[in-house]
Amino acid sequence: MNAPLISLENVGVAFNAQVRVGAPRFWALEEVSLTLRRGERLGVIGRNGAGKSTLLRTLAGIIEPDRGSIARAPVSCQLLSLAVGFMQHLSGRDNAILSGLLLGLRRRDIENRLPAILEFSELGDFFEQPISTYSTGMLARLGFSVAMQVDPEILLIDEVLSVGDAEFAQKSGAALRARIHGGTTVVFVSHSDGQIREVCDRAVWIEHGRSVMHGDVDDVLRAYHATSPQPVAA
Amino acid sequence: MRLHLVELILFSTYAELRAERARSYLGVLWWIIEPAMNMAVYYLVFAVVLRTSQADYVPFLLVGLTLWQWFKSCVSHGGYAIWQQLPLVRQVKVPVQVFPSVQVLADTVKFVFILALLLLILWGYGYSPNPAYVALLPVLLIELVFATSVAYLVAAAMPFLPDLRFVIEQVLQVTMFMSGVVFALDVVPQPWRGVFMLNPIAVLIDAGRGILMHGAWPNWSALGVVALISLALYVGASLLLLRLTPRYVKLPA
Repeated sequence: MNAPLISLENVGVAFNAQVRVGAPRFWALEEVSLTLRRGERLGVIGRNGAGKSTLLRTLAGIIEPDRGSIARAPVSCQLLSLAVGFMQHLSGRDNAILSGLLLGLRRRDIENRLPAILEFSELGDFFEQPISTYSTGMLARLGFSVAMQVDPEILLIDEVLSVGDAEFAQKSGAALRARIHGGTTVVFVSHSDGQIREVCDRAVWIEHGRSVMHGDVDDVLRAYHATSPQPVAA
Repeated sequence: MRLHLVELILFSTYAELRAERARSYLGVLWWIIEPAMNMAVYYLVFAVVLRTSQADYVPFLLVGLTLWQWFKSCVSHGGYAIWQQLPLVRQVKVPVQVFPSVQVLADTVKFVFILALLLLILWGYGYSPNPAYVALLPVLLIELVFATSVAYLVAAAMPFLPDLRFVIEQVLQVTMFMSGVVFALDVVPQPWRGVFMLNPIAVLIDAGRGILMHGAWPNWSALGVVALISLALYVGASLLLLRLTPRYVKLPA
């Protein structure tokens, strides 16, 4: 087995409950341990408020742990974030550049990818217009097209597998699945068993900020549902 | 990594200025009109109504206000920067120094326009360009470093102490009067005058007036002290921001 890209050992993350001196902190992550190896597609399951999103942001390096340790290999690791830093009065083009820079791309790399962004987003002449004139769907298309230009070695996904109206949802979903199954290392948070089974080859179960179980997708899902009420059928 | 940050800061500054321009009907013209209106108010109050008897009062006031407003807008805009960008800080990994730096840079671009206008007015008044103009460069550079440092410090503290918002404008107002912007510090009796001249902005404004109005070279030793204070402050503020960076993301939304 190859060496871990990231390993977490007893990691805890605390947030301030209020902006006030001496305000209590609460532990969003209590004690999480896991390892992520190259090419692995790890699913994160758990109930609302279990700390799944905090875990993703910790893996992304946005949050530093308050206890425990993280060891990471020198690889790029990014959360799939849509419409990061978008500004209302700027054109689609300028927002694409700004967002790309915030996501860690170099200016010339984004400039080179602008044609691809324009094409994938299907914005046409609107690309040069301020995004304040965009519909929700157009904004989603631009956001997704920019986010997909970032090609990290470890891709972190929080619930979103597709965006936009029916047609674009299919296109964006297909593009993302192609990326996921193209050999990228993935960590995927989801409430949907179906999506976890489809995307992931391993899973970790987080409960009240603790990693309860880590292993094969089916085993973890079975154990998870055994201890909890089955999700209500919609 | 470093170059990437420079690109991010420069493009964000462009975006900031561009968005600001798009937000109003007159756009870029406001960069001139707003400070000009501000100057007109002080001119009316102190030169016309109160008939300040000091010779050269109008150019004296304009130079002071121009240098002061640059500092003030850097500190007030830069000071809010991290606090306003907390949602972004929670989304991506980005060094927080970027945010106040962008505001300072955007205000500096606007300052260049106002400085150009100021020079035109001064030349119209008969204060011609002179060799001491060379010294403007270090004076302005030191002011930039000082303003950036103060902006960093306020920006660093604001997310933990949002109450600073209610205080900062008042503190800046008092500092303005203590910086000899609207009246010469010569009229301040000792020992207060000595205390006032410890204020870096007062020294910088004094140097600016000497150069622009009298062709006088600045007091290099006083300027040197201010330069050292500014640099020390800059290093301290940058280290503080670096140290506090992991804590911003943990603040409540």
